[in-house]
This record gives sequence, structure tokens and C-alpha cells, in this order.
Amino acid sequence: MQPPLSSSQLHTAGPFMNALGSMVYNSSVTQAPESVCVRMNAFPCEPNVLADLILSPREREHWRSMRGVEKRRREWLLGRYVAKEAVRPLLEKNLDLHLSPEEIEIMPDPYGRPLVKYCGSGPDPMVCAGPPGRASSLSIAHSHGTAVALAVLDPETRVGIDLESLSHRREDFEAIAFSPDERSLLAALPGNLHQEWALRMWCAKEAVGKALGRGLSAGLLAFHITRVETAKGLIEVEPRDGALEPCPQLRGKSLNVYTARESNFVFAATIYQQGAVRMRPSRQEILNYLLQKMGELTQDWDYPDPVRPGSRLFTELGFESLDAVVLCTAIQEHYQTPMPFAELLAEIGQQQRDLSIDELTDFVNTHLGGPPGADATRRVQ
Amino acid sequence: MPNMTESEVFDKFAQIVAKSLRIDASQIAPDTHLTDLGAESLDLIEITMETETQFHIFLPDKSILESAVEVFGSGILEKDGYLTEDGKRFLLCRMPEADAHGFEGAVAVKDLQSYFLKISTWVRMIQDLARYTPAECESCGGPMVASMGFRMKCAKCGQEITLRSGEELNREWVREYYDKEYRPQAGGPVAAPAVQ
Repeated sequence: MQPPLSSSQLHTAGPFMNALGSMVYNSSVTQAPESVCVRMNAFPCEPNVLADLILSPREREHWRSMRGVEKRRREWLLGRYVAKEAVRPLLEKNLDLHLSPEEIEIMPDPYGRPLVKYCGSGPDPMVCAGPPGRASSLSIAHSHGTAVALAVLDPETRVGIDLESLSHRREDFEAIAFSPDERSLLAALPGNLHQEWALRMWCAKEAVGKALGRGLSAGLLAFHITRVETAKGLIEVEPRDGALEPCPQLRGKSLNVYTARESNFVFAATIYQQGAVRMRPSRQEILNYLLQKMGELTQDWDYPDPVRPGSRLFTELGFESLDAVVLCTAIQEHYQTPMPFAELLAEIGQQQRDLSIDELTDFVNTHLGGPPGADATRRVQ
Repeated sequence: MPNMTESEVFDKFAQIVAKSLRIDASQIAPDTHLTDLGAESLDLIEITMETETQFHIFLPDKSILESAVEVFGSGILEKDGYLTEDGKRFLLCRMPEADAHGFEGAVAVKDLQSYFLKISTWVRMIQDLARYTPAECESCGGPMVASMGFRMKCAKCGQEITLRSGEELNREWVREYYDKEYRPQAGGPVAAPAVQ
């Protein structure tokens, strides 16, 4: 079956897709999964024609039976369209699956999270790709005539995306949407950023609610914003109380949400790989990681004593400069953060001194993102 | 305003919704859903705030089902995204305005949105909460007017009261239901389960 629309007809995300795409890739601490983000603000053809072209039989039934104002139906349809246009290239590029939009069915799970299924004739080609019938994870948002979808290949990865229009908001919505702590984060921002960042913070909560699969039903204050970094567009959201119901392992941890503004819209997206929470590690966690990594690197080196925090790399552990470079590269990859290791190694060479694992831990701790002492300040009560 | 009739509450609420969504109030009926009128999440926030201001009430932050799960524990009212029989009984008791036929067969949690966002459900909730907002001052009988935050003040003697929070009232209702309706039938544990 031929795809009904050629790619040149698509109103793809443009700058936002690139901006958010690179934000998601560059800023995550763990390796970013394959993802596609598509946004549209116009229909490629008349809505009823589009519905006939892209919807599966079940989706078409839903479209026909949808009640309510036309705006709602149209945005739902546009949402399905961007979702399919995000999933298709993802499956094509990574799994060599060439499906038409109507063969990709997107139906909500009992909590309302959209699930991607194959609904063409013939055997399900997605079975081999993941858990039965699922080959990707998806989030959709629409508002004021614009729809956006973010799809990632790994079905176990949770994604959440949201968008809102900056137009005519009641200024005091912050009083209900944010806790006193969150309002003081907002108050600390320059006045000209206030309105936009209030909306970004709101979108960030929605994105995390969607990623965890239950929306904001646990209450707005159960999604607690712990940190805001305006230069990177980053907002950290910690799920609490009822928000932890679907993900108890996240207790005390924050998810990174990347936000952006494009013309009159604000967007927020988060990608959460289960078991790999993206948060700033504590010094102890860095030390543990370094000890473990050292253990791996020096597996066959037959030391008389086990590697300790105080062990010195060159004189005690027999490191050569190449080994140090390998270790430094591994550290930067692990934390997905560039650190000035070259300067560190040059300085050590000049001063003709050694470097203990403890010192290396301090170095990494200093150069990881986030303000100094972020561990202590991240949960402002 | 504790003594408003259902139709008075409806009319006033419909005005709030119409203004927020920029639609005509004649489009709004008791069985209309806010999302069918085109309401998005932030519109709901606006409607919530305006409703709180105009009715002098303090609406709950989360759904009654969420509050209930905190008291009952997980897996009792809702399991894997579907209401259990206990969950259906609970919600029908709480939302007498809901269509009982809609609770036959499998009911997914996502579909509860259509109850929580129904105009008649909001009207009932507003009426319930408004009962706790005094029209007159307890000490001097003077008229109560809105004060800062969720507070009211007597225009005559200046005495202030804090409005009851809808969330707190929800939790009390849930605990009472748990003790009186659920536990005797389920033969559940004698001690109330740990709350939060």
C-alpha cells in the first residue's frame, strides 16, 4: 500500500523538531534512544479526506462517533496524523518496516496513554521488534490548532510531550498550578521570563504526567518542580505521592524535561528510560561508579590489594596516559557530559603529581551539570 | 452561599464556563462534557479558579478516585486501569448523577474523565462544597465576604474563617465510606489502613 502523502506535503516540525531533537539528544545523561518528533499546525488536506487516508478502521469509528466541538475533533485527528508521521520513519529507519499510516493503530490504554499497534493484514511485523504488538512508545499533544508527537523506538521507554499557547492566560493560574516552592523558583527568574516560564513549568508537569502514563490525575502538586535552568530550557520534575503509583522506583528522583518556545507556543518533552533515571548523581554514586569502572578496566592487572578510594592511578595502579584517556572518555560517555580532563591531566603532568580516585571523584562531582551542592538543594521543602 | 439551588448553581457555573471558553452559554447542558466544549487542561484550571472565586469554595486538587486510592490502597478500587466492582460501587455512591448503565462491563480509568468533566458532576460538587461556606457570620450574623486566599471575613465584625478544602472533605467522605460501606461488606481489616 502506498503512503497517501508524499513527504514534501508534510508540515513537519521544522526548527522545533530540530531544537527539541538535539536538546533531547545532547542533554540526557544516559544514552538517548532513537526518537522522532513531528509537529504540524495545518491539515495537508480536508480533514474528512485525511481521516479516510490515515485512520485504521477502529480509529475511523472513533473519529465518526466523537462528540463535541469541531475544534476538538480536528485536533484529535491532527494528533493522530503527527503521531503516525513520527512512528513511520522511526520504524522505517530502525526496523526496516514500511507501513502505511492506516496500518499503524494508536489506541489509548486503560489509563489513556497512547499505544502503537500494527493493524494491517498479515502477521504482525512488530512482534519481533518488542513486546507483542508494540514497537515504540509515543506521546501526543495538541492545543490551539497545533499538534505535536514524540515517538521513541524502545517500547519500555516512557515519553511525554506537551504544548500550550502563550495567548490570553489568566495571569494568576500560577496560584493553583504551583506550590509555594515552585512559585519562589518562578519569582527568582527575571520578570520578562515570568509568563513564559510559568507556562513551561506547567507543560513540564504535563509531560511528566504523560510519560508516567496517568496524566495529572494525582494532582498538580504531586508533580513537583525542583529545579529550573533557563539557559538550557531544562526543568526537573520530581513525582511525589500519588504520582509515584505507577513508578515507585522514582521516589526521591527527578526527571529532566526539556522545554522550548517557538513563536506563540511553549513545548516540553521528557524521555525516561526505565531504570535509568536522569538525575545528577551524588558524590558517593560517582565514587561507586569510578571504583566499578576501575575494576572493569584493570580486571586482569593482578593487584595485590583491591582498588580503594585512596588508590593513586599512576604510581599504585600502574596507569599509563593512554589508560587515563580511556578512563576519562568512559566517564564522559557515562555521564554524557564533557569535562575538562585534558586540562586536568596536563596539570598533573606539569606538577608531576599523581591522582587518587578520591580526587578524580571530586573533579567529576565539580564538573557535572547543576549547581554546586545540588544534592542538598534539589529538594527545597 | 450554602442555599443555592441546583439550577442556580448550574446557571452561574454555565456562565463561568461560557466566558472562559468564549462560547455561548446556551451550548451548555447538564450532560455536556467540558472537553466536548473544547476545554483543554489550562482552561480547566481557569474554570476551577473562577468557580472557586465566585462560589467561595476550595475545589479538590485531585479526583475522588485518587483520594480514595490513598485510603483504600492500590488494587482495590482500580486494577490495571479498570474499575473493580468495589470501585464501581464507590463511584456510583459518590456520583449519583452518573448514568449507572455506563458502569456496566469493563470501565477504564481513562473513561472516568467523561464523568469527572461532566457539567452536572461539577454542579453537584459545587453544591456540596458550598454547603460548608457560611453566608452569615457565626458570632454576629453579619454577611460574609471573600478575604485573602481561601478565607472569608464578616463584613460587620471582621471575624475571619478559612474555607474547608475540597480535598480534605473528599478524604473525610472516603474514610466514612470505607468504614461504613466498604469494610463491613468486605469483612476487611478492623484497623483502617495507613493513610499516606
